[in-house]
Amino acid sequence: MDLNFSVLLRFQDALLLGLWMTIKLTLICMVLGCTLGFLVGLARTSRNVFVRGLSSVYVEFFRGTPVLIQLFWIFFCLPLLLGVELSNLTSGVIALTLYMGAITSETFRASLKSVGPEQLDACVALGLPKRVQVTSVVLPQAVLRAIPTLLSNCVSLFKESALVSAVGMADLMFVGQNISNNTARPVEALTIVALIYFAIAFPLTRAVSIIEARILKKLAI
Amino acid sequence: MTMPFSPPLVRMQNLHKSYGPEIQVLKGLDIEMKPGERVVVIGPSGGGKSTLLRVMMGLEKIDSGSITFGGKPYISSEGVGRKTVIDTEVRRSIGMVFQHYTLFPHLNVVQNLILAPCKVRGERKAEATERAIALLSRFGLGAKAKAFPAQLSGGQKQRVAIARALMLDPKLMLFDEVTSALDPELVAEVEQVILQLANQNMPMMIVTHDMWFARNIASRVIFCAGGVVVEDGPPEQVLGSPKEERTKDFIERVFHIRQ
Amino acid sequence: MNYSFDFQSIAYAPLMKGLLVTLELTIAANAIGLTFGFLLALLIMSRIAIIRLPAMLFVEFFRCTPAIVQIVWFFYCVPMLFNVFLGSLTMGILALGLNLMAFNAEAYRASIQAVPREQIDAGIALGLNPFQRVLYIVLPSAFRASIPVLLTNGIVIFQQSALVAIVAVQDLMYQGKTLATETYRPIETFTIVALIYFAVSFPVTQIVGYLERRRQLLVS
Repeated sequence: MDLNFSVLLRFQDALLLGLWMTIKLTLICMVLGCTLGFLVGLARTSRNVFVRGLSSVYVEFFRGTPVLIQLFWIFFCLPLLLGVELSNLTSGVIALTLYMGAITSETFRASLKSVGPEQLDACVALGLPKRVQVTSVVLPQAVLRAIPTLLSNCVSLFKESALVSAVGMADLMFVGQNISNNTARPVEALTIVALIYFAIAFPLTRAVSIIEARILKKLAI
Repeated sequence: MTMPFSPPLVRMQNLHKSYGPEIQVLKGLDIEMKPGERVVVIGPSGGGKSTLLRVMMGLEKIDSGSITFGGKPYISSEGVGRKTVIDTEVRRSIGMVFQHYTLFPHLNVVQNLILAPCKVRGERKAEATERAIALLSRFGLGAKAKAFPAQLSGGQKQRVAIARALMLDPKLMLFDEVTSALDPELVAEVEQVILQLANQNMPMMIVTHDMWFARNIASRVIFCAGGVVVEDGPPEQVLGSPKEERTKDFIERVFHIRQ
Repeated sequence: MNYSFDFQSIAYAPLMKGLLVTLELTIAANAIGLTFGFLLALLIMSRIAIIRLPAMLFVEFFRCTPAIVQIVWFFYCVPMLFNVFLGSLTMGILALGLNLMAFNAEAYRASIQAVPREQIDAGIALGLNPFQRVLYIVLPSAFRASIPVLLTNGIVIFQQSALVAIVAVQDLMYQGKTLATETYRPIETFTIVALIYFAVSFPVTQIVGYLERRRQLLVS
């Protein structure tokens, strides 16, 4: 068969709009999801059994089911349960934020754990009050250690966001599939879409490795 | 020389500590420490030396017994498995340095030093920094003020850790095997700093495996084994001509001498 | 809320049929991923650039693009590009298998390269030849180290397999979607489907957690 990528040129604007939707979704859910994940990560270390139990159920459930079904559930079931219409964007943001919250909470939890007991001994020996131990010693180290994994989580979020095309949101993947259907040129359209995703995600994963090496070197003790 | 009655700096009475029902680490320790004394605690591994220091720092619960510091009640226990009451005000007059440095890796050297003075005593940052720099240059670390712990050698890290503890003007310093993790060529620089403190009459309690250092710095040596004090006296006696069989045995083995 | 739940009217038989397809996809994709993933790991560690670079590009491409894009691409483009027409289940297995291959290759590589240098030095000191060093020292410890990651990847593929529903493979997700539209009972259907996925994933993630904790104890 003959490939002709030039047919895609007239869809440049549509692709850019789709890409913008993908990036917008990713950025919004990144901020909301990281915040949620941080709070849930703390909640999972809580002494209150109820808080701990509830946050564990949330995390395990969202990590234990396909993101696609989470998305379907929120698109089709949540409006029925709440009795209100939710816009596509709202549903997409809710679904991906909950996904991101679940995976980043694990990142925060692991990084909180990685601050060793001897650091707390040092705090006690220096007479630091509990509040200062948390704000000046534990949290800064935990957040620093979390950064590389959080960035990986963001790349995952960027990739998972392509699922919203399955519920009809006009993101990059959705636009690509539309072009493929309209032009009957799936190879060109889908390949370009894949390349765009790759062109963004690949440099990010490289950056993660570099940042990780730098942080590990800095925190080595 | 007249010896006026001076109250003990530290008085430990009948300290008991166990990890679970099986492992008793401290079995009724009674130790009194006078102001200006430099006590070196030696003994076999698992004999309770490090636990003793950690208890004094208020890092471990105790099962029973009490500690007073400078005449004031400091630590006491309400019974086995119950709360250990620690006076945190008193605890602030004690400083401790650990085997593995425990510097805060995300803070640079000066930030490590001024964290506690600023946050605990509310000292102004500029003043604390000035004191920190002065202390660092005294320990030959003036050039490292802005360095991060990961950029320092083990010996430098340990000297920073000592400086950090001194920033709070402690009345007693605890050193828990502070040279054990160091490469041999870095041991001297750390011991030098501790000797400097000794010359200024800083009371200290040291746990070490380095018998030559012990002999150099101690004004008193305690041999601790099986959770009790086996022998207690001036260094030349405990290290030179111990009376107890167990002490003799230990000293012989660490010095590899057969008499 | 004025939705009345009705879990009775859900037809469970199609869901079970779908689950079997999902498990079939998962197991077959894992068989591909575990074996060819290892071979791919050897390629990406090759010293010969002409072997290493294409292999690395393959791995990075699968790791840096959405799985849904890969699957849709595979279903639409492979038949057109290569003129091969396979059953949709086979296509699903291949698409998922290729994806898992890339992730597993990376897991194998990481654990092989994490074998401490001293271990290999000890092998040299004991007079083992290079082949013996790999066979008796590197691989056993690398395999053990990679098990938790391989299991995690395997369960991720189980979850990702739901994507083939989009290209009409009749897996659990597909059956759920059909049932939800036929019965107008999306809440019950999607909840049950989610619970079925969870019931399979959760025990495996618990096992992974246990293995990792045990490994950490052994290492320290």
